[in-house]
Amino acid sequence: MHEFSIAESVISTAVEQCKKNGFSRVEKVRISLGSASGVMSEALLFAFDALKKETIAEEAILFIEANPLSGVCMNCLCNFTIYEPYILSCPYCQSNSFKINSGMEMNIIEIEVI
Amino acid sequence: MKIKIAAKILDANEKIAAENRQIFDNNKIFTINLMSSPGAGKTSLLEKTIKYLREKEKVGVIVGDIAGTDDALRINSLGVPVVQINTGGACHLDANMINNALEDIPINDINLLFIENVGNLVCPAEFNLGENIKVMILSLTEGHDKPLKYPLMFQKSSVLILNKIDLKPFLDVSIEKIKVDVTSLNPSIKIFEVSCKTNEGIENWTKWLQTLIS
Ligand SMILES: Nc1nc2c(ncn2[C@@H]2O[C@H](COP(=O)(O)OP(=O)(O)OP(=O)(O)O)[C@@H](O)[C@H]2O)c(=O)[nH]1
Ligand SMILES: [Mg+2]
Ligand SMILES: [Zn+2]
Repeated sequence: MHEFSIAESVISTAVEQCKKNGFSRVEKVRISLGSASGVMSEALLFAFDALKKETIAEEAILFIEANPLSGVCMNCLCNFTIYEPYILSCPYCQSNSFKINSGMEMNIIEIEVI
Repeated sequence: MKIKIAAKILDANEKIAAENRQIFDNNKIFTINLMSSPGAGKTSLLEKTIKYLREKEKVGVIVGDIAGTDDALRINSLGVPVVQINTGGACHLDANMINNALEDIPINDINLLFIENVGNLVCPAEFNLGENIKVMILSLTEGHDKPLKYPLMFQKSSVLILNKIDLKPFLDVSIEKIKVDVTSLNPSIKIFEVSCKTNEGIENWTKWLQTLIS
């Protein structure tokens, strides 16, 4: 359900940036989602298409890049990247002491406008 | 033409959350964002906590629900200032809703603000409100599989309150498994076991809370 609020933010940022730069339509929006961000891509696409109507982004297509959860293990010092919503132990040595570097983020990367 | 943006999607929310935090800090208010699934015991915990603390701290409450004022009325009867937010469908509170509600809270007269989020184990975790800490409740009746099914809130909370421990004898639920999984998801989380029915553990929790405020 919170995908609606997130879609709303994506659309308002895209619309704002489009106007600010002197353009009149948003054609594409590219975002990235960490695999541990708690956001479902399908729900976000659905919300985006529902909310873009009657805005200058009504023709816009949303592209979602999936980013892995990545981090470093404090025990075996390996770097790991996994496409999972969470991590409980190092995938290599099963240690519980690790540091997560990315995977929770939700970023707008770029938009295409005309 | 392409325009690079490279910004957080929830940047707008983050900015308002930072504004709220500034208001809390300027007025020396410690703020708690209280989250759980529906019925885990948020309002019950607030009632108990307020009864313990109302002589010692000046408490205010903001309650978020999709609709209705039942929770606000329960808190209001304890004699502390309370504002009800009806989200009209939204499954979580956001920073802007809190910013608006602050107009109706006597911010000069309180030093501890509880925000009861909308009952939901997923969405509220994404939206910072400007709080000092996130506290979540898991009630034993929900089962020990919840941390791994809904990891985000467990990862983002500083405190987990395990509520309804009075019901343990009637349930096939492993508190041990909950603790092991939650600690793996979030090694620094602090866990309290309480019952809002028998009051077990409530004093422990409120005493710890007071150490944060002063
Ligand atoms: N047995 C038992 N029941 C409890 C306990 N805490 C709360 N309850 C009951 O659980 C039900 C829900 O409690 P609430 O405090 O309203 O839960 P809530 O999280 O505020 O619910 P929403 O605001 O609707 O999401 C009520 O019937 C409470 O009496 C407890 O420790 N033990
Ligand atoms: Mg409630
Ligand atoms: Zn390792």
